Amino acid sequence: MTLTVAVRNVFRNRRRALISLLVIAVGLTILSFVLGFVGEAIQATRRSLAMELGALQVGDPRVLDGRASGLEGLISPGDLSRALDLVGGIPGVVRATPQVRFAGLIGDAEGSTFLLAQGVVPADRGDDFARVLASGRFLGDPAAREIVLGARLAERLGVGPGDRVNVATGTVSGTFNAATVTVVGTVRLADGQIEERIGLVPLGFAQRLLRTDGVERILIWLDDLDRAPAAADALAGELAAAGLPLAVRRWDELTPFYSSLETFWGAFSGFTTLAVFVLVFFSVLEVLTIAFLERTREVGTIRALGASPGRVFRGFVTEGVVIGALGGLGGVASGVALSLVFNALGLSFVPPGGNMPQPIRVSVGPSTVLLPFLVALGATFLSSLYPAAKTARLPVVEALRTT
Amino acid sequence: MRQGSFCYVKGAPVLEGRALTKFYTLGKERVRALDRVDFTAVQGDFTVVNGPSGSGKSTLLNLLALIDRPSEGEVLFDGQPTGSLPERALAALRREKIGLVFQTFNLIPVLSAAENVEYPLLLTRTPRAERRERVREVLAEVGLADLARRRPDELSGGQRQRVAVARALVTQPRIVLADEPTANLDSATGTQIMELLRGLNGEHCVTFVVVTHDPAVIPYAERVLTIRDGRIVGEERRGEPRPA
Repeated sequence: MTLTVAVRNVFRNRRRALISLLVIAVGLTILSFVLGFVGEAIQATRRSLAMELGALQVGDPRVLDGRASGLEGLISPGDLSRALDLVGGIPGVVRATPQVRFAGLIGDAEGSTFLLAQGVVPADRGDDFARVLASGRFLGDPAAREIVLGARLAERLGVGPGDRVNVATGTVSGTFNAATVTVVGTVRLADGQIEERIGLVPLGFAQRLLRTDGVERILIWLDDLDRAPAAADALAGELAAAGLPLAVRRWDELTPFYSSLETFWGAFSGFTTLAVFVLVFFSVLEVLTIAFLERTREVGTIRALGASPGRVFRGFVTEGVVIGALGGLGGVASGVALSLVFNALGLSFVPPGGNMPQPIRVSVGPSTVLLPFLVALGATFLSSLYPAAKTARLPVVEALRTT
Repeated sequence: MRQGSFCYVKGAPVLEGRALTKFYTLGKERVRALDRVDFTAVQGDFTVVNGPSGSGKSTLLNLLALIDRPSEGEVLFDGQPTGSLPERALAALRREKIGLVFQTFNLIPVLSAAENVEYPLLLTRTPRAERRERVREVLAEVGLADLARRRPDELSGGQRQRVAVARALVTQPRIVLADEPTANLDSATGTQIMELLRGLNGEHCVTFVVVTHDPAVIPYAERVLTIRDGRIVGEERRGEPRPA
């Protein structure tokens, strides 16, 4: 009957009950949505970064750690071949592709500007860049004199697909080399500064321009990003055993800002959780304090009938928890509904630090349902303790005299 | 024991007050509400404590009901002093041995008549089936079997007081203490309630102590105590307790 009495008491003053339940429900809707959004935003960021960088990279440690000067530390064709064989034996690897990056100048007779070029294997990266292609097409022939430019760089140069431009850079031996290439397409990236400088060329052409047959690094994708640490350890062991002077870095080691980003999202979630907790706590505290005080005489009656202060206390706390449970269920339900509506909109965004747009969804799962519900229960439980204890301990005669 | 068949052995003292004194502090003033009152309620008695407003009769009832403690003196239940008992033990005595009827009925508004009557049995952890049976019987006894599912706000004043009486009796207490049970009722309904209490007293030999300032209650008493200014100033025995 304790639960029956608690439930009936909750709805004794319907307006007040509705306000309490509404506060909890709104707070929990926000919390459930935020937790679902943040969880998915972190996953989208991971997916975006891993898509651009690969789950793992293999290369000279100086190159991977940004300590190489110029074009030193390139992987020789022999080492590349042996390394790719070893990579193929690592569980979970879905693809691996070599890459070389270089800086140079791009322009025509009128003038030139700075270029950050990436030599890629077109067949390996076509799908990755297809989603950011703004005009034309992606690279085709693995050694053709073609270039895909950042859209802003193309605009600055006043060129588009079909136009020809000159690319100049220093070779591995330090001499100067230049070539005329055809612009075949442009890409639109989230980072405007990169879009103003980037050019993608076939790896074979990049190697001819740089007068090298080496590559800078190997990008490796896994079927599950969570396998990256184990795969990195396994691959590092294989490379060392084979005597190759190459290191392995995980995607999160290559993007140190990711851990800051994750910390930020975590703090944001934590702050929102705390804010909702405090909101529910104080709202329910006020409501319960008034509700319990109004029933002081009733408490006196129950105590006079022989109920212990503990029983009265438990009854009031049960009432608080009932409010929390009802509000929590309502809040979680509306949070899930809001998330499903949001997901149905099919929106996408470019995660911080990434260039590849990702579908943004609000995840709906145990963490976005259970945690908010527990927040509601915890906050209402705690907020009921003080008024319940205060009311339950009142002297019986004094309580009975209250009007 | 079925609700309708129990009857306590009459004659033994149930509740005693010895030199009960109670002080209240009003502002800076210390007021003596009760002054060395001796009181004994014998099993089966129907006692009315009569006195004007502010005479100390409710204070006496609170002390006898063990919901307040005397400033001086001692309350004994079945001959055992209660002054040194902790609140938990006093609560146990209240729920198992004492029934209370209040002037303003004091029913729990969110519970039906039957649930209100059942509530004290929950406190004594009476099994569910027995609770339901006792509630059914006691509600029938007070004439409310048909209104068991109604909430207090759906009942008249007299019906509410009957529910309160049923609630006081459902635990088969040794003594029922009633504080102005007719004060909030019209005279006809007050008469019905007093006849009900007197009938239950006769049937179950439950001791009744009724505190009132209503002269219409006095004819129902076997013993009338008059209280004034915190002192018992008169005692009149109007008849012997009736045989069970």
